Amino acid sequence: MSAEAPGALASRRGLLDWLAPAIQPTIALVISAIVGGLLVLAMGQDPLQIYGVLISGSLVGVPNLMVTLQMTTPLLFTGLAVSIAFRAGLWNIGVEGQLLVGAFFAGLVGWLAPLPTFLHVPLTLIAAMAGGALWAAIPAFLRIKLNVNELVVCLMLNPIALLLTGFFAIHVFKAPGPTNKLPDVLETAILPQFSLFSQANWGVFIALGCCAIFTVVNNATIRGFEWKIMGLNPTFAYYGGIDVPRRALWAMLISGAVAGLGGAEEVMGVYGAFFDNFSPGYGFDGIAVAMLANFNPIGVVAAAGLFGALDSGGAVLQMTTGSSKYLVEVLQFLTVLILAARFSWEWLRAGGRGQPTRRAVGVINEPEPHPTAEEA
Amino acid sequence: MDLEILHSTVRISTPLILAALGGLLTYQAGMLNIALDGFMIVAAFTGVAMAYFSGSLVVAILAAVGASMLLAALMALFNIWFRAHIFIAGTAVTFLAYGLTALLLKGIFGQDALFTSDAIPTFTTIVVPVIAGIPVLSQIFSGHTILVYVAYLLVPVVAWALYRTRWGLRLRVVGEAPEAAATAGVNVDGVKFQAMLLSGLFCGLAGAYLSLAYVTLFSKEMTHERGLIALAAIFFARGSPYLTTVVALLFGAATALSVTLPQVTGLAPQLLQMIPYVVTVLALVAVGWQSTRARNKHRAWRFDLS
Repeated sequence: MSAEAPGALASRRGLLDWLAPAIQPTIALVISAIVGGLLVLAMGQDPLQIYGVLISGSLVGVPNLMVTLQMTTPLLFTGLAVSIAFRAGLWNIGVEGQLLVGAFFAGLVGWLAPLPTFLHVPLTLIAAMAGGALWAAIPAFLRIKLNVNELVVCLMLNPIALLLTGFFAIHVFKAPGPTNKLPDVLETAILPQFSLFSQANWGVFIALGCCAIFTVVNNATIRGFEWKIMGLNPTFAYYGGIDVPRRALWAMLISGAVAGLGGAEEVMGVYGAFFDNFSPGYGFDGIAVAMLANFNPIGVVAAAGLFGALDSGGAVLQMTTGSSKYLVEVLQFLTVLILAARFSWEWLRAGGRGQPTRRAVGVINEPEPHPTAEEA
Repeated sequence: MDLEILHSTVRISTPLILAALGGLLTYQAGMLNIALDGFMIVAAFTGVAMAYFSGSLVVAILAAVGASMLLAALMALFNIWFRAHIFIAGTAVTFLAYGLTALLLKGIFGQDALFTSDAIPTFTTIVVPVIAGIPVLSQIFSGHTILVYVAYLLVPVVAWALYRTRWGLRLRVVGEAPEAAATAGVNVDGVKFQAMLLSGLFCGLAGAYLSLAYVTLFSKEMTHERGLIALAAIFFARGSPYLTTVVALLFGAATALSVTLPQVTGLAPQLLQMIPYVVTVLALVAVGWQSTRARNKHRAWRFDLS
């Protein structure tokens, strides 16, 4: 928990402890980079050249940086959304669906409400938050009222959201023309883009603002503390007097709202309308980002930046060399897989300082109940 | 026309049933394996690649199953021995498989989205001797490829293995009460590993069926969340092999209808495709409702945020 330790203790700790939260992700990244390099080598290409293109294609030059920023923004929202729920001990893997529903609501309000900008933008954002929260409310209520496993419900709600928004975009509110989308969002609800190089837009500030807010919430408020305790030990939290179901509900709703904001950013800033099936899996990448970030809002900024850079570098890779951008997906999820493993982390930590602590990632490795445990 | 739909229902349900058989073994062993899609896509790719290079369907299917089981072994390694959360491991393995197959599609065949070739041998359809003589049944059940029959024959085999053998008993005990199983001397991790490997085997067959028999091509992410639908069927049927098969057939019928129905009625295909997921959520709600009522009757407080 060194990432969230109170400031009073921080002064006594060395630089190494300060960097501790980054050690695991870095090791995982290096391992997956090596495996990815071997894979590239096996396909008869030069890994160094490929990685060179990945780095230069994402970070060198303003246009590339702008694309990276564009790719990063939705991951900031989804990564933060997953983190918020996880800290409270809930698995919100329905972020993909919540993002879609939020985007759909934003597309509707942005298109239908003729208002001045200073009202329209906030209203559209609020609509998106409401949409995301609404979609998150389903697993949350089922979890709290009926003790139904939120993982499975979230998993099923993702395709439902995709099909339902697709249904509305294709059969109900379809814009004239060949593409399956809602009519364009009005000028007044557009988040301005920074440059012509990419669709990076002002939404990134909303995302960073959210990360800042949740850094404060997590570290300096009672709610944040309660969520943390719930995530670490819900039984203790209950006997400690925390209203666990209600806090869990709110964690899930807020998580969904943040995911919905991510959808709004895409609609209002990137595409200018709700397109059917627009998300290339931002919600699932969000899980990866959150894991890499160790569910810490500041870590989310770094992890989303890294993933965004990989994504934009992958696009350049695809264009300039003959190889596939899917190398990036392999690297990303290999990292997640390695991070999820608990195999030598404790040993590594113990070897370093001999004080293995129970990390957040360790908590999720508790033996889980049998899927049919609800019957008991 | 109606018989045509039933015929294609049998066809469309085949990968669902195979994947569901794989998923329900892990379900019964207490693991929520959501990597079914990942196993299938790897098998689908390996199947096409090996069929293309070797020209032999047997080699292709064996390779597909092998690749899928290899991925299952990776999943088991991380989940069982490295104690990675099964959900994270499953998500990571699935997307890893999507990425890897798309990467290899480009690396080996130079294609971005789709690969097909005349060099890939195709399955011949089988005319079942007895059924072929019966008018209605022949139009539904005859004239499928061998993997279809294998899939349906595997259902009773799995049911028998689960409920009539010592191995099946151990598997179910490991799922229901791992501590009790360990106390009784069952190698819990070993049983889970076997279940995961078998899950890979069945999903391998499903993937090979998809890319070699259902169609003769590989396209990226070609499983189209069939693993998820299979998982939905398992949850709906709570892991019972026969019931899972029936539910998978119903979901397959919904898919078959979603392909043909718009031409007939103009109903949106999305609404039919939604059926498996919606029905599963409703089933979970019903189960939750029941158990909550029972719990309230006994005034037991139970809220496990685990």
